[in-house]
Amino acid sequence: MNAPNRYELYVLEEGERPVEIIEDTKIPNAATIKVVKQDHTLGNLLRAQLLAMPQVLFAGYKVPHPLQPHFLIKVQTDGTITPTALLEQACTKIIGTIASLEATFKKEFQMSNIGAAVAEDAYGTGATTSGFPGDRDYLDF
Amino acid sequence: MSQEKDPHVRIQELKKDKVKFVLENVDLALANSIRRVMMADIPTIAIDMVEIESNTTVLPDEFIAHRLGQIPLVSTNCDEAIRYTRDCTCMDGCKYCTVILNLNVACNEEGKTMMITSNHLEVALWGEEVDQSMITAGDELSKRPDNFGQPVGKDEIGVEPILITKIRKGMELKVRCVAKKGIAKEHAKWSPCSAVGFEYDPHNRLRHTTYWFESDERAEWPLSDNAQLEEPVKEDEPFDYNAKPTRFYMDVETDGSLGPQEVVLKGLQELQTKLANLVLGLKQEPEAEMATGADQSLPQTNGHPTAGWGAPAAGAGGWGQTSPNGTGAGAGWGSPVAAGAWGGSPGTSNWSAPPAAPTGWGTSPAPAGSGWSPRPPGSAGWGGSSPQQAGWNV
Repeated sequence: MNAPNRYELYVLEEGERPVEIIEDTKIPNAATIKVVKQDHTLGNLLRAQLLAMPQVLFAGYKVPHPLQPHFLIKVQTDGTITPTALLEQACTKIIGTIASLEATFKKEFQMSNIGAAVAEDAYGTGATTSGFPGDRDYLDF
Repeated sequence: MSQEKDPHVRIQELKKDKVKFVLENVDLALANSIRRVMMADIPTIAIDMVEIESNTTVLPDEFIAHRLGQIPLVSTNCDEAIRYTRDCTCMDGCKYCTVILNLNVACNEEGKTMMITSNHLEVALWGEEVDQSMITAGDELSKRPDNFGQPVGKDEIGVEPILITKIRKGMELKVRCVAKKGIAKEHAKWSPCSAVGFEYDPHNRLRHTTYWFESDERAEWPLSDNAQLEEPVKEDEPFDYNAKPTRFYMDVETDGSLGPQEVVLKGLQELQTKLANLVLGLKQEPEAEMATGADQSLPQTNGHPTAGWGAPAAGAGGWGQTSPNGTGAGAGWGSPVAAGAWGGSPGTSNWSAPPAAPTGWGTSPAPAGSGWSPRPPGSAGWGGSSPQQAGWNV
């Protein structure tokens, strides 16, 4: 009855900001960044990328409560760059990696599709024709 | 992350409903994020609401509704071909955000059991009974394939239909199903994947796991097929505790609502979108802070050469504040990053535009020197979210 809409777990509400930066008052060059409506998929990915960057002294993330759809990522840098800027850099870097991965995937899929044009017809109609190499039919797929 | 080498992919097997591939030179976290995103973040359509007109079968209404919900429907190009109902302008369901499937089966034959299957579900055409006035027309319909919304494998030879229930003479099931777009984070029925295999380090070289065994570890834990693609660990090999996994064996199996190629590529796009939105959020964050106070007091002066952010003339305080009791000297982020990273070029800088400089918070050199200057919480230039705290409007 009064259950919140399930999509509220992953859709930003009207006017809700996707990130909130909480600067650390006690540790220099450190900030905790709250990312809303996101989960481990992004949290762990960012943490790993940040740890691979030389300017980082500390990086860690947590999902404070499994029922609350946000995570916190804590970053401390060596002072040459602000945590927020660094996080932004990390994001851009991962986007680059994924983009190149996407390109390789597209190429690979194209090659596989040519090699396995027959397999596209794996079900049904083609089963009675001799389109399959050897004795294979749709049951083999 | 293994940035030195470009990520590499080798597809081992591509079938109508599954793809097996090896991912190389990527980080464990990235591989896992790809897996997660493929399972939970790709939109498909599934029956979400069932109006039961008549149900005289042995199964109760909710039982049948649940079974209907989990029938995979063809969702090719779901991104563009259909809207989320929550985003649509219609009152409750229109052709742009829902697909209607009807099922009307009755058994009249004596002494025979009849099976109601997914093959009995018929995609209904939209009549004009819906109030069109509220609906914003779109080009979604043209992006749909002919069989969009149909149960996967409907009336295809060699594909066993999905059994919904069995009926005998005198029983009937008549329902109207409303299929909507959604993602698996909301309900697993929207997942395009039936299974995603994920393996790395088949020989356990990295010792990320310990195998429990009765008497002989090797005999009790048979190796997977992927183990043949990697060198087994030698008996006297020293343990490299710095080693990181770089090869990932993935096996994406779909339920047919999307093809495996679409799942993988959409997954990667989805992940990029997530990151891009985060970047956008990070860029807008400081501006939003400024905007809360600025849009009431000095909208015109912002971006003005003399009052721009961090314009050197504006004094030592953080962000080129003109307000008298704004952050005093020593507040703001006195990092040694170039002075006036914001509004560095007078006249062209405009606070409402996304900042071009990635290093955001460089201010005019603060007296406190490098590092974050100590300051009482709440009185800071940009830290406070309310105008009063930030000292903007006074």
